[in-house]
Formats: sequence, structure tokens, C-alpha cells
Amino acid sequence: MNTISIEDKLAVNKFDIDKDVHIRIDEDICQTCNHHACIYVCPANCYKLSDGRITFSYEGCLECGSCNVACDKGAIDWTLPRPGFGICYQYG
Amino acid sequence: MEQGFDAIVVGAGPAGCACAYKLAKAGLQALVIDRGKFAGAKNMWGGAFYGAELLELLPDFLEEAPFERYVTRQKISFLTVEDCLSIDFASPKFSQPAPHGFVILRSKFDRWFADKAQEAGAIVAPGLGADDLLWDGHRVTGIKAGNDELPASAVIACDGANSVMAQKAGLQTELSPEDMKQGVKEVIELPREVIEQRFNLSGREGMAWEFAGSCTQGLPGGGFIYTNQDSISIGIVAQLNALVKRKIQANDLLEGFKSHPEVARLIEGGKLVEYSGHLIPVSGINMMPELYRDGFLVAGDAAALVLGTGLILEGANFAVASGIAAAETVIKAKEKGDFSRESLSTYQKLLEESYVLKDLKTFKKAPHFLENPHIYNLYPELACDLARRIFIGDGQPRKTTWNTLRGSLKGKASLLQILPDLWWGKGAI
Amino acid sequence: MNIIVCVKQVLDPDIPPAKFKVDSASKQVVPPEGIPPVINPYDAQAVELALRLKEKQGGKITVLTVGSDGADKAVKYAISMGADDGFVLSDEVFEGSDSFSMAYILSKAVEKIGEYDLVLCGRQAADWDEGLVGSIIAESLGTSLVTLAEDAEVVDEGLKVKRVTLDGYQAFIVPTPAVVTVSNEVGQARLPSGLGIISAARRQIPVWKAADTGIDPSLVGSAAARRKLFALSVPARERKCEIIEGETPAEAATKLAERLREAGAI
Repeated sequence: MNTISIEDKLAVNKFDIDKDVHIRIDEDICQTCNHHACIYVCPANCYKLSDGRITFSYEGCLECGSCNVACDKGAIDWTLPRPGFGICYQYG
Repeated sequence: MEQGFDAIVVGAGPAGCACAYKLAKAGLQALVIDRGKFAGAKNMWGGAFYGAELLELLPDFLEEAPFERYVTRQKISFLTVEDCLSIDFASPKFSQPAPHGFVILRSKFDRWFADKAQEAGAIVAPGLGADDLLWDGHRVTGIKAGNDELPASAVIACDGANSVMAQKAGLQTELSPEDMKQGVKEVIELPREVIEQRFNLSGREGMAWEFAGSCTQGLPGGGFIYTNQDSISIGIVAQLNALVKRKIQANDLLEGFKSHPEVARLIEGGKLVEYSGHLIPVSGINMMPELYRDGFLVAGDAAALVLGTGLILEGANFAVASGIAAAETVIKAKEKGDFSRESLSTYQKLLEESYVLKDLKTFKKAPHFLENPHIYNLYPELACDLARRIFIGDGQPRKTTWNTLRGSLKGKASLLQILPDLWWGKGAI
Repeated sequence: MNIIVCVKQVLDPDIPPAKFKVDSASKQVVPPEGIPPVINPYDAQAVELALRLKEKQGGKITVLTVGSDGADKAVKYAISMGADDGFVLSDEVFEGSDSFSMAYILSKAVEKIGEYDLVLCGRQAADWDEGLVGSIIAESLGTSLVTLAEDAEVVDEGLKVKRVTLDGYQAFIVPTPAVVTVSNEVGQARLPSGLGIISAARRQIPVWKAADTGIDPSLVGSAAARRKLFALSVPARERKCEIIEGETPAEAATKLAERLREAGAI
């Protein structure tokens, strides 16, 4: 069976994407991080490691809060999208 | 300024809707807000609600509620990479005298539940989130939503696993990855007849199916499948810190689970229609925050009222029960005109008298026990190996079952390894 | 200034493309499961313009919508943004109405409300994109009309409206009452406030049936429709991927530009 990428999975979801970014990361702190927990716990691949740097994009965020719980470096300024924006589950 | 409410319920999930419904039925001015575009838009779970709370609370439940199916088969499977050993329990007791479990898709269901609260007289306001609490000294006096201040005699935090409200109230401290599991799920569309044929169901019959073993690659957690009417929900639950330690994403586990030969055939030809993820607080009473303070109560996942016994992981019934208990507490407080901490301590008493805290106390040691890796690799392996030896003849003379078991154990585990698990498990689960 | 804003509920434009389905046999769009319809974004912008005018001039904003179950949500959304009042026009006989009948239904409601200086509509609905209803309302009310407005202000002679053109704008001064259709250049519609959401949630939106506004049933519904739909299908889209290579980035870019020109894309 072919596996489906997270990006393709997110493409079937309904999002109301806000122009406001609801999560910000401090890349300088991420540079010093030894575990990069965020990239493993984020179910939506919002965190990516490329050339030793963590990059973040908020658009596919499922608002689960895993990154905020798993990051012990204080690098994540975590909030929820403004009311009415973000993931909108059809089934749940 | 808006005239004050008797209660503002933050979050329109099962806890919040049950609470607001009950409050409104008692004639209190209740406002329930939810940051989703509609109630349910942010909510996901595995799939089934067990218990009589909803039937008791909502007289129209069986006729009207948009549930998918009744649970009439409960299946548990142990997986190795190739094998699958299952216990498939079907009983008329599941639906007599009334159905006991319901497979539910939350987005549809929570919207309906919120409508019921509205019909009962609550003000339901989706698209509205609480940013902060209003304070008068130690007392919570309402919420802040954007630029608006909304006063209330009591605020009830039903805002789920990442309860911003419980944190703002100073009741919940930062959550720890050891106390959380992550659930990821796909909803896969399949024709109704195909679902019924593959899962041996008919009409509104439904299956709840839990998996342990190779589906989490030995990490604490499990897999699940629930049959909806025209789709199936399939997902993985895994301990958050274990994902980090193993450097693996829950989605990788889910993809592996979906490709297990016994699972792949169930979803074959299906079309993915949704992918979702959520956190589940799993340390039960060990992580439970204080449940109330002056003018403030916490219910449902926000209060970590989730029971995991290894065989089940239940939260929605606890959410509904705690939402109702919170409402009863606020109704009494309103009668007394006293929303102080002392007055709201009724809430704790009500929960202690009910199964909510009783169950969580009974299974106090379960969360720690369930971190034992043997449960997710050794025992499923053993169980499948034993089944293989019993059911698949190898042309050799048969041994007694006891000796077959010893054969299974050989090289995998000694009794000395297993006995502590048994001893420990006896007290925990 | 009394403003009436006509709004429509449409399929949420943010649904993932893969979930947009039509039933070619019944020639209807199949609404996706579990995603409620929303207020037409252009209509929300019409409400926005109404609110800006009200903030300057004072007055009252009344919202009208035509629809069945759940149509009150569109009116409530406008109220949560700050509109004062609203009505749902709902009747079985309205089903299958085309733009002409819709404009007639709305005009009759506008006449019933009576005192108005301005009727605002979105430039078009985000579902069918026909953009007819506003103009036909002006025709049936016999008022002046400006389409594609990006701004409006009250002046002594009536209303001064800036109308979007391809490379700028036109300015019109029209006597009131007038009908103005609002374009997206008016800017983003404000989000509802907390108190707005609560006050809207508390409201019961009155429903007017055909008889309440004196509508002639023979002029509405599918039987009266002048516009007939012959076929409805989702166009098949082909996607191809070509990798343009080059020794240097500059060479690759040149080849890409050539290829794009060849394909008529630039």
C-alpha cells in the first residue's frame, strides 16, 4: 500500500487560514536544541529541519498543542488561531 | 457592558454542552462560547461514547442525535508485524435494554449537542474565544474575549486538553509530555455495504476495535478503528515523549498500521476525507489540577478526566458527567448566592461520589503501569506466537498447551520477567 | 441614513477543491458534508460599507436574506458585525428562483420595510458569480444604481460613490434612494465582536413568507425562472509537470521564459 504524505492528507482538510500567525518560534533557541522534539510530535509537519535549522509554517496546524507541550526549551510562543480561523473539522 | 451571565462555559464539547444544557434547563443564564467557526469545528476523538449519561440527559438522543452507529461489537487485537490475534466480543447486551455505546463523529455531534443547549435556553456563541479571565482579587468574575469583557458569576473551563482557561486560572501548570498521548486519525470514506460486509455489521450496528502491539512499534499507545455509517475512523494513539525518544511521528505509525495485512484489507479502496490530530491527557488523577476556585470550575479533558486502563481510553463520558456536576454545583451556588471556593467545593464532592473520581482512583496506578514496554512488544508477540504454535501444525508431534506456552516464552522472556508485570498489573489495572 | 443590505448564504469558498461535487443529473451542487454555508464574502463587505456609512451618518442597518433552514445564520452574522436588524424571506414557492425572481422577492421586502436611503448588495455571489440581483433590484424599485463600489459617502446631492474600473475609479453622485453593489476593493469586512456575536445569538430573526410582503407566487420559483440551466459539471483539469533544466540558473531561466511564451502563459 502506498503511504500518503502528511501534506497530501492535510490537503483534504478544511482550513480557514488566518493572515495572523498564531505560533512563532525563536530560531536562535532552536539552533541550540539537541532533540528537536517539535519535528516528531507535530502531526502536521509544521516544523521542518533543513540544513540544521528549524523552520516553521503555521498553515496546516491542527491546533493540537503537542509542540508546546514537547518543547522544553521555551522556543515556541504558542497561541491558538483567532476564533473562527484555523482547522475546521468536517467529521472530527 | 454586557449584563452578567450566571455562568460562562468555555468550549462547546461534550463537557461544555452538557453543562450549558443543564444550566439552561434549570433556568440559569448560561453562555457557551467556542473558538470554532461552529461548535465541534475544533473537536476530534477516536470514535465512541459509552454510558447512559447522554440518554439520560437528552430525551431525544436516540431519535435525533447524529450518531453514526451503535457499538454492537467490541474487538481487541494484538498485532505483530504479520500476525493478528483478536478477541471479538458481540453481545445483545450491548444494545439491551438501550444501546450502551455510540460511534460518533464529533464535528456533527457537538454541533447538534450545542443546538440542544440553545433550545434549552443557553446562548451558544461559536466563533468566540476566551483570551483571558476577569478577576476581582482571588475571584474569577468573567472572561475577556478580544476587546470585550464578559462578566459572569461562574466560569466553567471546558476547553479541552490544552486548557488555556485552567492555566490562566492558575490551576493547571505546564503540561508534561509524559502525561500526554497524541491521537492522529484518518476518516476514510467507503460505501456503506462494503463497511457492513467487511466488519460483519448490518443496519446501525457498529464496531469499536482497539489494537495493541506492532501498530505503535512498541511505543505506549495503540491503534483504533471505528465504523461510521459511510466511513471508517482509523487512528493511532501514542505517548508524546515516546515519539520524541524514538524520533518518529505518529503519522508514520499510522501509515504502518494501515499497511498491516489485516488492516489494509479493511480500508482498501477507501478515500481519505479527513486527517486530524489531538492531545489526550492520560495520567488521570496523577495530573488532575485542582478542580475549582472562587468563581471558577474545570471539567472534561481540561481537568484531565480521562480514564486509560489499557483496554479502554475513555474521556467523553467523564466529560459529560463532570459538565453535569459542574452545572449542578453552579445551580446550587446560584440558589445560595455564593460562588466562593467553599461553595463550589460541592463539585469535588459530586465527582467523588460518582464514578468519575472513583474510577480514576481505582486506576490511579494504571498510567504508570501502561508505560511498560512489555505490553506493546513482548506480550503481543507472545500471544501471536502462542496462537501460531497452537493453530498452525508443523508436522511435529503436538505438545501440551503448557509446553507450547513455554516454547513461546523461550528466548523471549523468562517467568522472572513476566511475574513482576503480573504482580504490578494486578494492582494497576 | 437607513440602509438595507441584501445578503446570501453560499457554500463555504474555503472547502478543499477535492470536496466540491456537483450532481450532473439534478444539475445541483452537492453541499459538502459537515461544512455549514457562510455569508457570501462580497455581501459581508457590503455590510462593512454599510457600517462605515452608519458610523459617520448614524441611522439603521437592516439585513435581508432569502433562504430556508439556517438562512438566519447569514443575518445573524451581519448582526454580529454590527447591523441592527434583519429578516429572512422564506417560502416554499421561492425554491428554484432565478436572479430575476430573487430580485423581485428582495424588492418586495425592501418596499415593505419602506423607509430606506440605500440598498447595498455584494457585487456578486461567490457561488454562481452572476452579479445580477443588485442591478435588477434597482430596476424593480426604480432607483438609481451604481455597481462595483469601492467607497461611498453622503453628500448634499445624495450619495457619492466611487466605482472600480480596470485602471482606477469613476465617481458618481446619485440621488437617494439608490442601489449600490459593493466590490471587494472596499476592503476586508470586520470580524464580529464578542458582544456582537452574543447579541446576534440572542436574536430570533423574523421570517417573512411570500404573502407577508405581497409577493405574487406566479412570479417566483422554478416555474417562473427565465434563466434555465442546461448542464452542470466540474471541468476536468489536467496537470502536467515539466522540469526545465540548464547549465546555469540564468540559462534555465531563459529556457523557462521561452517555454512559457511558447505555451502562451506570458
